[in-house]
Amino acid sequence: MSEAPHNGGEAFHTEDMTISMGPQHPSTHGVLRFIVKTDGEVMSEAIPDVGYLHRSIEKIGEKVTWHGYVPYTDRADYLAAMFTNQAFCMAAEKLGGIEVARRGEFCRVIACELNRIASHLISVGTFGQDIGAVTPFLHALRERETINNFMEEICGARLTYNYIRIGGVGYDILPETCARVREFLDHFEPIVDEYNRLLSYNKIFVERLANIAAITREDAFQYNIVGPNLRACGLKWDIRRDIPYSVYPELEFDIPVGTGEKGTLGDCYDRYIVRIREMEESCKILRQCLKMLPKGPAIAKVARKFKPPAGEVYVRVEAPRGDMGFYVVSDGSEYPYRVRIRTGSFTAMSLIDKISRGLMVADLIALIASLDVDAPEIDR
Amino acid sequence: MSTLVGYVNNITETVSTIFEGMAITFSHFARRPMTIQYPDRIEKPVQETLPLRYRGILEVDLDICTGCLACERVCPITCITIGIEMNKETKQRAFSHFDIDICKCMYCGLCAEICPTGSIRHSQEFEGACYNPAGLVRHFAKEPVPLYKPKKGGETDPKLAMKAEVGLKYLDEFATPEGKAAGAEEG
Repeated sequence: MSEAPHNGGEAFHTEDMTISMGPQHPSTHGVLRFIVKTDGEVMSEAIPDVGYLHRSIEKIGEKVTWHGYVPYTDRADYLAAMFTNQAFCMAAEKLGGIEVARRGEFCRVIACELNRIASHLISVGTFGQDIGAVTPFLHALRERETINNFMEEICGARLTYNYIRIGGVGYDILPETCARVREFLDHFEPIVDEYNRLLSYNKIFVERLANIAAITREDAFQYNIVGPNLRACGLKWDIRRDIPYSVYPELEFDIPVGTGEKGTLGDCYDRYIVRIREMEESCKILRQCLKMLPKGPAIAKVARKFKPPAGEVYVRVEAPRGDMGFYVVSDGSEYPYRVRIRTGSFTAMSLIDKISRGLMVADLIALIASLDVDAPEIDR
Repeated sequence: MSTLVGYVNNITETVSTIFEGMAITFSHFARRPMTIQYPDRIEKPVQETLPLRYRGILEVDLDICTGCLACERVCPITCITIGIEMNKETKQRAFSHFDIDICKCMYCGLCAEICPTGSIRHSQEFEGACYNPAGLVRHFAKEPVPLYKPKKGGETDPKLAMKAEVGLKYLDEFATPEGKAAGAEEG
């Protein structure tokens, strides 16, 4: 405990209290610790203490083969494993000069967008739960369960998919699954409206989030906030549109941005509502992809002993938590020389100290939930 | 006056949105329940309802295993250990052990895809709880098992032929990235 710089009058001697929030706190979404200095309810400092979930996934990349590393990338962000798969495979393809099978690209986009919906459902569901609304969480997880069943049909796993491989995808999407996904989309779009009525426009929920922890556009730039958190600040920046990859240039979709509809621009509510809108956009993308799915092989011919020529690449994909980058160095051998993963949650951590000053402790929960940080993605 | 109006408006809005949410919640009384009572009150075991590609606990059919060691080599986590010894009397190579450590396995499916005969495959089994970690190491060759040699022109032994067919069928259905099974969807 340190002495406060300001004494509340001569008669009272007050001290800031240092408390530790986490790593077992349920609303920190994994094992993540905050060292919080409070004066009563008001925080003067909140320092994120990361590293509790470090599994040295980057180092493992140097010890396993190129094909064998793909299942490990699942674990880097287990709520959105498709995107880590895709980012690593894109890096390997760029190094090896492999052209992805066209059907494979569409299968990737279908799987990724389904995964994005699932990840955002977790995000908005736990958001409600952290704020104190337990019912919407169950509604969100109910829909996610259907998506998990699709993933099980497509690739055999519910969470750690290992679906996207170097050169395409591991398993073809069957016509029955396509029909069922279409059915699900017809069912899901009204559910989003229902969810909005249940939670998003609830006055108590709005009051808890509006005008809380607004991130200005300058701060977002300086601290490198990415993904939905950046778009909530009113900036239209989406890797899918601005640095196009895969077949996204052929697809039509909007990029929802925050408008400050209930409070200031870039507040917690904007970050929340951007995710809701992104799910609707993902539905649009899915419908187009299911219509455009071409015939042909889903994976290109890649050698079992994949040895890309020496070199280094950096690829970025638009994951649910923002710009995810893989920096991969090859020395021409069977193993990657170096793998470095850059994730959106980690950069979001750096901003928390700045914007949490002067917030209430309960608002810190809203802030963490609104940034949608994911502990495995922070530590890797 | 305006503060009073704002105060009343706030309250009405709060109450109305709460009741809107409650209406949705109550509408779920009339809907089909999503939860099931596991494992007592389900119509048939979950294992039977799982899709074919489901990656459950690994199983090996040693009768059709050629001992090519492809799965051992491809496993990124080295949870498969295979021992092959030459039987001095019969001059036949046989498995001395074929162990899979289920504790280590991360169910990536790489071994099942690479197997030429489909002898190692993911079952639909997922309930593997046991009291001792040693119990999770599956020993498939309890006594030395001779290696399977695929015969030219098809298998003659009907028992083995059936097993080989099961393996190949599994390979076909588990991984069809070539687009054999699925054509393009009509708009």
